[in-house]
Amino acid sequence: MSSLIYFFKQSIQGFARNLSTTLGSIITIFLSLFIIGLFLVGAIVIDNIVKSVENEVSITAYVKDAPSQDDAAAYKEYQDNLAAVQDYIKGLDGVSTVSFKTKDQALEEFRTMSTNSDIVDELGANPLPASINVELSNPQQVEEVANQIQSNAAFAKISDEENPADSLKYGQRTVERLFQVTNYLRYGGIVLIVLLVFIALVFINNTIRLAIMARRKEIAIMRLVGASNGFIRGPFLMEGALHAIIGAALAIGCIELIRRFALPQLQASLAFLPIQVDGNLFLIIYLALLVAGLIIGLIGSAVAMRRYLRV
Amino acid sequence: MTEATTQGARSADLSMALPVLEAEDIPQQGAPVISFDRVSKVYPAQPNRPALDNVSLQIYPGEFVFLVGHSGSGKSTLVRLIIRELRPSSGTITIANEDLGSMRNWRVPYLRRNIGCVFQDFKLLPNKTVFENVAFALEVIGKSRSIVRTQVPEVLRLVGLQDKLDKLPDQLSGGEAQRVSIARAIVNRPPLLVCDEPTGNLDPQTSRGIMDLLERINRTGTTVLVATHDREMVDNMRRRVIALERGHLTRDQQRGVYGFDV
Repeated sequence: MSSLIYFFKQSIQGFARNLSTTLGSIITIFLSLFIIGLFLVGAIVIDNIVKSVENEVSITAYVKDAPSQDDAAAYKEYQDNLAAVQDYIKGLDGVSTVSFKTKDQALEEFRTMSTNSDIVDELGANPLPASINVELSNPQQVEEVANQIQSNAAFAKISDEENPADSLKYGQRTVERLFQVTNYLRYGGIVLIVLLVFIALVFINNTIRLAIMARRKEIAIMRLVGASNGFIRGPFLMEGALHAIIGAALAIGCIELIRRFALPQLQASLAFLPIQVDGNLFLIIYLALLVAGLIIGLIGSAVAMRRYLRV
Repeated sequence: MTEATTQGARSADLSMALPVLEAEDIPQQGAPVISFDRVSKVYPAQPNRPALDNVSLQIYPGEFVFLVGHSGSGKSTLVRLIIRELRPSSGTITIANEDLGSMRNWRVPYLRRNIGCVFQDFKLLPNKTVFENVAFALEVIGKSRSIVRTQVPEVLRLVGLQDKLDKLPDQLSGGEAQRVSIARAIVNRPPLLVCDEPTGNLDPQTSRGIMDLLERINRTGTTVLVATHDREMVDNMRRRVIALERGHLTRDQQRGVYGFDV
């Protein structure tokens, strides 16, 4: 316990007496963690946006008009098929919800969406088809789901067009390209962050190495007067940990400022994009930065000291 | 001599703790403090020219021994072997009955706590005061603050630096800096003090002061080994002299002289 206090006192002294190297390593740790943190936040924001875009992907399966109720047999068959198709789609992998939109609902939606709703009143009969809307739990599976629907026998009987494939609308080409882009964004982000972490590791390790090399004389003297390796390592490790904590705290402070002030502004000017990030995610990022800083600081110091502690 | 006694009286604690022996009658008996048995050291860079070649010697408790020789004769190698900064290529070294060859690495710090070391270049920490430099030696071996606060001023008084506690090393003269490093070496009261060219950087008069100090420390019972090429000093003091030449032990003489041509 007393040596812990001694280590702490020594590391505080080390701070004051090696101010420039101390500042150097704190700033290096701070900037590295700050940039990593920024990219993490950026990656989460982009992931949010990508997800919201991807979630727009859904399948609309148009069905032909119901036969008149006079032909009871045909009408019943139509309704049975409709129910069977919906059940079938619900059972498919990657589907979250299935809903049915009647002709009237489609017309009503068109009326509210279009700028001059008078057009609708001009129309005599309702020209819009009814449809089954399929929301996907995994948007990437849209093509598979669509293929399964179009090869369904019941759907072939009630599809709006002669060919069931033509009655399915999910923006075929666009979706493919969209997923290509979003996947690039995701993998690119991961690669970038891994690269940044690596660069930060090299940077921080190098700074610590220099700081310890500058004090190798002190270490040599400690060994000369018979200090045990553990005792020599103590103050240096504590100093490394302190640098890491201060650097991480600065980085966290800066990111918190950005979250408080810059992100809401950005959101206000880009209202159509979901930029706001969950607070818990920020907490996790902060914790990760702190822990990563500590680990790098401690391991970096320990590794850098090894060559000076060889007996 | 009178100055030495008054200094000694003021640091009664340190001197009284150990028996005061007369310089002349150190019997070579008991177990040797340092024992080299056919020790050779070959550096990898010079495989054909051993730095030490088949050296055997014994140094007994309480002795004051000069180790003389030209540069490159192996003096420093011998000193570094004693504190196990180096390991011999062959032969065995025994310090205070402990065989350095079989000593585990983690024991080395404990060995060094029993050997005070003084070097030509002082090896003081430039950003610590005189007091802190000496206190450092006690702190790193885990001594309590109260021990540090009593022993450090005492040992600094012994070396005559009681007024310079708060000076930094670069505010000291060479002789003063060397006194600080001697104080640091003995503050822990080691039974053995090893000095590698302690006066190498100092003028003759200052050197004499340092040697007086070493002699005084020796009189408290500490075994002192001084590697030097300071002819005048060795010739004046007439102590045991061990001479090295190109790694060979060429002379081991009681009350010897430097004996090399300049």
